[in-house]
Amino acid sequence: MRMLGRVAVSMTAATIGFSIISAAVAADETKPATLYGDMSSVTQDMLNRAGHDGNDFLLTNGNYWQQRFYPNRQINRDNVAGLRPAWIFQTDVTESMETSPLVVNGVMYVTTSFDHVYALNARTGEELWHYQQKLGPITTYCCGPNNRGVALYGDNVYLATLDAKLVALDAKTGKVKWETQIANPEEGYSETMAPTAVDGKILIGTNGGEYGIRGFVKAYDAKDGHLIWTFYTIPEKNEGVWAAQDATGRDMHRDIAAEKANLAKAGDLYKRLGGGVWQNPSVDLATRRIYFVVGNPSPDLDGAARPGDNLYTDSLVSVDLDTGKYVCHYQYIAHDVWDLDAVSPTVLAEAKDADGKIVPVVMEAGKTGHVYVNNRKDCSLIRFSEAMVPQEDMWSLPSAKGTRMLPGANGGVEWSPMATNPFLGLAYAINLHQPMTYTVTSAPYPNGKLWLGGAFAVIPTEAQWGNITAVDYNTGKIRWQVKTPQPMIGGVLATAGGLVFTGEGNGRFAAYDSATGSRLWQFMAGAGVNAPPSSYTVDGKQYIVVAAGGNVQLNYRRGNAIIAFSLAE
Amino acid sequence: MWRVALALLTLGWSVTGVAQTQTVEQKAAACAACHGEKGVPVDKAFPVIWGQHQGYLFLQLRDFKAGARKNDFMQAVVAELSRDDMMALAEYFSKKPWPDLRQKSATDAEAAVANRVNVSIGCTGCHLGQYQGDATVPRLAGQQHDYLLKSMRDFRSRARANNPGMTDLMKATAEADFEPEANFLAGH
Repeated sequence: MRMLGRVAVSMTAATIGFSIISAAVAADETKPATLYGDMSSVTQDMLNRAGHDGNDFLLTNGNYWQQRFYPNRQINRDNVAGLRPAWIFQTDVTESMETSPLVVNGVMYVTTSFDHVYALNARTGEELWHYQQKLGPITTYCCGPNNRGVALYGDNVYLATLDAKLVALDAKTGKVKWETQIANPEEGYSETMAPTAVDGKILIGTNGGEYGIRGFVKAYDAKDGHLIWTFYTIPEKNEGVWAAQDATGRDMHRDIAAEKANLAKAGDLYKRLGGGVWQNPSVDLATRRIYFVVGNPSPDLDGAARPGDNLYTDSLVSVDLDTGKYVCHYQYIAHDVWDLDAVSPTVLAEAKDADGKIVPVVMEAGKTGHVYVNNRKDCSLIRFSEAMVPQEDMWSLPSAKGTRMLPGANGGVEWSPMATNPFLGLAYAINLHQPMTYTVTSAPYPNGKLWLGGAFAVIPTEAQWGNITAVDYNTGKIRWQVKTPQPMIGGVLATAGGLVFTGEGNGRFAAYDSATGSRLWQFMAGAGVNAPPSSYTVDGKQYIVVAAGGNVQLNYRRGNAIIAFSLAE
Repeated sequence: MWRVALALLTLGWSVTGVAQTQTVEQKAAACAACHGEKGVPVDKAFPVIWGQHQGYLFLQLRDFKAGARKNDFMQAVVAELSRDDMMALAEYFSKKPWPDLRQKSATDAEAAVANRVNVSIGCTGCHLGQYQGDATVPRLAGQQHDYLLKSMRDFRSRARANNPGMTDLMKATAEADFEPEANFLAGH
């Protein structure tokens, strides 16, 4: 099923002005380099300056601050109408694509579902090499066999796999240099996120909040894969402060007296309390801290099994980059029983605090539909944005018969990364509106199996839709919104050309005016565009690139394409 | 069940033990008594295991042995199997071709119900497009109709309790939808 036939198309390429490259062309060969690019090493200095690099795209979310703001303005508001496909590369895997393409020195690295990696000539889409991870028989993952991309460091490409391994590949050949087992997939651990490379370390979180894992972020040595430190997202003492209200001050209707009474009987909760980390941490090189968000507690909807605040689930967490030691945290939702957790990657910025003073902040777009702005110094909340999607009956508790509450459990904002424009002070988030009912049941820990503690079911008779929302992060006000016909999942890219790029499940990939939200250009990709776009420049020409592979979670039309766009000559 | 026990006896496989010297093919031969010589089960209530995913088959054997999945006969069959035996058997059957049971395709009305159920609880979020499954998630497309129906009901009632996530999802689904869903999957 997943290895659909390769399609070699060449006849029409010249006539329609772009090339379609089949994965079959060079699947069995590797080439050491492109004609122009030499795949030179990715140095720490290059990574430190990635946000100002108008040629490469070196980190999953653009730079260590994860701003997804590309500084080249060759493609801009005035000429974006002339954007057209430069090339299309068809991968071997027709299944959900969430990859963030990385580009260094004219070479692009992309991934697919089931952990394939391709190195491509970024000018032409020609395949340089193809690596397929031989997955073990046991993989346990929620929400599709996705992969969100690789990390680049030195002469290596780093991949994290569905069977919970970290693999280092030779960037020139795609050959394995080393691999290490991160955690046991039979216990519900898996990897879909891209690693982050920084100062000789490869940082990686884990999936598994739907399977009763104990979440973590780990740092491995980039050279040989030995473990440097582990930060568990679930501390042994995790009951917290028994918060009655969420970050926005709304009552969560907890029966705290009953929870306290149950605490002694709960046993070693920390061993199976969930707390996955789905997306890359942001890195503050000045303070040598990283910031990431921690996902839902296990089981998702049954709070009776897990009294207390369930720290650090549904939280922003900062730890020391060099040691992995705890620095600070802020919990958005204590004792979550809706799976309205925190999964979209954190973004660093400088923004006004409550007194109007510019301070270093860290932002996160929640499934609740709020963008939260926290102080980087102590993780404290500065503000939260206006709700980007309808919120109704928050926080009604899940029930045996099912309770309708909005947002639905996919958000608000899912794992999709935001983009920001620091000159406009705007953060761009894509949202889902999916009315759902929340049901609760109780079952004992099922030994690494799906453990939801209930169900969140879409109400088929109610309309679903999505939106792209620009939030002023200095005020929390919504600057503009564009409604889309389907819930949004994938990611956003902003550029210095005054543009915002994002895609939809129906295949539309579009450019919007970053100041107003006006749609300036679109392309129908034929499959869901549910991955974050990147941009790069080679030989003086800027490209926008994105994967069109659809999405498992929302069942959007599948495809297998990486599509690069440039301005018509 | 007596037919099955008789078949096993004729194959010389005592349900109380598996000779350590047997190859995986020899061990697998006993499974054919129920699951079919050519992968077509001998009874409509028995699942197709030919071409099923290795991880899923292994976890079911593991759960039968641990008692997490209840079935007197299967629990007796796996009692003496080691983890390596179970993994080897799972691999062996996963590499066999999926049999064509020639089950009829669903009607448009049944397919519409299945689509609505999928929108509601997201079946293809785990079982993937075309319900082919992967690794520890079973293929549903073309599985035996009666087995599919029984599985949905057993998950719902907790008679099958080794996947509480599936229990939750089946509880969130109207029981009247199970029959059209089974028809849809069996004929898919």
